[in-house]
Amino acid sequence: MKKVILVLFAFAVSGFASVIGLDALGEEQVAGGMASTAGRGYAGGAKTGDAEGLSVLNPARNAFDTKVVFNVNFLIEMVSLENHGDNFGLNNITMPSFNLSFPMGGFGAMGLSLWQSYASNLNEEVSEGKNSVETTIEYQSSVYEIVPSYTFRLPVIRNFSVGASAHVVMGNSMRKVSMGPNTEGLSSEDTWAVSKTEISDYVDGTWEIKNHPAYYTAALQYRGRQSSFYFSYTTPHTLLNELDYNFRMSELDTLAPTKKSREIDVPAMLAAGMNFRFMKRNNVMFDIATRGWDKDIENIGGSFNMETVTETQKDMLLALGFQRDGSPMFYDPYLDRITYRLGGWYKTWYVKNVYELGGSLGAGFPLGRKGTTLDLSFQGGKRFADSGRGWDEIFLGFRIGLMGVGNWGQTR
Amino acid sequence: MKKFFVVFLALFALFLSACIFDSEETVMTDWLSDQGIPSGYQVQTLSIGDLTPLSSEVFLDSAPKLANDRVVLGKTANVSHDLVFDVAFYDSVFFADIKKTDSVETFLALHILKPFYLSKQFPADSLPLKEDVKLNISWKLEKGSSKSFVDSVWEIKTDTWLSDLNKWKADSSADTTVTIAVSAKDTVLKIGLPAELLAAMKALSKACRLQLRVSAPEASRAYRFYGVETASYPKIWASFTKDKSFVEFNPFRTAHIVSNEESCTDCLVLHGGIYDSLVVEYESAPIMKALSDFYGDEFPYTEGNGDDVRQTVILAQMTYARDDSQGSGELGLPIQVVVGSYTDSAGSSVRQMEAYKLNKSLIASKGHPNMVFYDGDSLTLQVTYGLRDFINRARDGRTFKMMMRLGYPVLQPKDSSYSDHVTSKKDTSYVFFSHFDHARYDFSSAMKQPSTLKLWLANKRGDK
Repeated sequence: MKKVILVLFAFAVSGFASVIGLDALGEEQVAGGMASTAGRGYAGGAKTGDAEGLSVLNPARNAFDTKVVFNVNFLIEMVSLENHGDNFGLNNITMPSFNLSFPMGGFGAMGLSLWQSYASNLNEEVSEGKNSVETTIEYQSSVYEIVPSYTFRLPVIRNFSVGASAHVVMGNSMRKVSMGPNTEGLSSEDTWAVSKTEISDYVDGTWEIKNHPAYYTAALQYRGRQSSFYFSYTTPHTLLNELDYNFRMSELDTLAPTKKSREIDVPAMLAAGMNFRFMKRNNVMFDIATRGWDKDIENIGGSFNMETVTETQKDMLLALGFQRDGSPMFYDPYLDRITYRLGGWYKTWYVKNVYELGGSLGAGFPLGRKGTTLDLSFQGGKRFADSGRGWDEIFLGFRIGLMGVGNWGQTR
Repeated sequence: MKKFFVVFLALFALFLSACIFDSEETVMTDWLSDQGIPSGYQVQTLSIGDLTPLSSEVFLDSAPKLANDRVVLGKTANVSHDLVFDVAFYDSVFFADIKKTDSVETFLALHILKPFYLSKQFPADSLPLKEDVKLNISWKLEKGSSKSFVDSVWEIKTDTWLSDLNKWKADSSADTTVTIAVSAKDTVLKIGLPAELLAAMKALSKACRLQLRVSAPEASRAYRFYGVETASYPKIWASFTKDKSFVEFNPFRTAHIVSNEESCTDCLVLHGGIYDSLVVEYESAPIMKALSDFYGDEFPYTEGNGDDVRQTVILAQMTYARDDSQGSGELGLPIQVVVGSYTDSAGSSVRQMEAYKLNKSLIASKGHPNMVFYDGDSLTLQVTYGLRDFINRARDGRTFKMMMRLGYPVLQPKDSSYSDHVTSKKDTSYVFFSHFDHARYDFSSAMKQPSTLKLWLANKRGDK
């Protein structure tokens, strides 16, 4: 395991993946970014079972769990930006979510997630020509959510459960553009004054929800013998990003910052999904989630000729997946105990004229006899950015999830 | 086996990343350009002419200062320089000897600062100097009875002592006249101490503290001597002529006290070598209007909290008309003008000394622009920190305030290193003379004439 962690950290030295929406919210980690869900194309929100873990879109799912589930996920993503035949690559590692669910028998189930719902991360240095000053661009933004949830099965109609979760938003954002002078407009007599002067256009701030401690998700789950469904509603909310804009000559030589705040109206989200089980351990599943963005997002940038707003569109995820569950019998052949996943998705981003098409392969490898699983998934696809300034992105993702299942707090 | 598999997958992903996704900087530059991020910030210059000060005032800090290295006594450039020596000793034999001896004399010995007078920068035709100078010697004598008394004097903090000198009230004083001679041969100025002081000391028996103040308000110039922390430190002597023996006591600290004797109270006169400053204040409106005309935006800024980061000052220069006939110096060397600005620090205004960026081609051809007593008719001072802070926070209606004072004489006015340095021949190249020139410079006419402010501004506005 130490080797795995070393490899993960080796990836962590690079910048982030997608650069679409950097100035708005960044890239969304769909469905909590869980490796198991990603392996089947982000479908399967309706699938119940101890091996599924907590779902940030469907807090009602865990009512049917019987065991404590702990789940942590990592994402290694590589992106190639393309435009007019040119391309360059970026890669990064991140931890999109950490989940813990705790069933309490007749009292329902509780859960807690730490979810990096939106993130932007870029750190690149560019030097043009031999004598030019280096330009450095750096983005670090994370909208983190702590999501406590509670769910229980309905008293009479036990196939149904309801659940709710609160999303407490926190995190910070930073953008720094450092560059040297452009002396083209200066007379030769005046260039001495700006030699060796690098300045940074610097913005940093924090994320929270305006006038409220959290936003909320409510969900209804049905679990049948073969079919399962869920429907969830997430409340609209306004993200508040308090920002300090500054010019920096050095870390110690700065101006008094201009304090501004931007408000991002995040619309309500509707999500639904179904899972159909056939031939005992085979499942097909379909999920849909949508948010009707109707207002532009004020950008963190706005300096130089950067766009001041990001235009939005209806954000929609259509996901279709297949999963063959692994055998729970530890004495079965190991290959039979592995869970196999396959899926694909189509997603319209919240950024106008950005569409994503992707596919994935995944597997869950049981570790030991007690249900602990190592989930791996490979994803690939393309993001089409048809806006004026956007570049298409080919992406390749590699997710690792560790799912621990235990009997804590339960008597035999 | 499973661990190996995971490591293999990770490395495979890295391999794919390296193969499929090449990273070329030119492509990244194109991407930055598409995002509206330039490869360099735009710099523009703006000259704002016809600026006249809202106020200008000189401040001479006449508080006593510690002067343990070099000391100055006399009067020059309408400033008089007094010295106060602090000495304490326990010596019962000495007190017994002076009581029973009539033929004892006491002196203060000051060693002439010959490196200054014999340097090639000091006008050679000035030496030898010889002058009968009328001195006023005043003193405070405290009686002690033990070594602990001396220790207690030593423990008095220097700041406390200097502060107490502001309320100097002597026990007694006396006038005397000495001949001060400065030449290649003369090394010491020997000042006979008054008989009244000796008589007062004869009344003591074991220990004493003597604070001795020497003034020469009618001297034709200021004379320079070594201080107490040098090998040629000042000494107080008691000489017994009968058996030619002597006793020597050494002051352990010296204070330098200046007083301004300028007759013109409205003149803006700066003096070299002392803590003297000229503070000039400019109103906000002309600078804000010029910026508004230049950018076409509203100044001062009003959005958000009003602190303006739409642009920043990369460099700022204020240029004044200069007339060196309004000043005089001892050495005939150019003198740098040191600049500070008043900037905001956590809501308080603090004085910040300005950095000096070198315009090397100008310096090589015409010399540093921030000197007086040099060729040319203008004085250009860099006030970058001050203007940067001022424009950033101008919304509250603040003024722009700067300070200037006379610095060190400049030996190499066209040397663009602007600091003493080692040359390629491993010689030390001295750019500044290590002694201040007690010069006098009247900025009154310069401040009455309009000055010009030139700004180099970095702008983050987009193309309009």
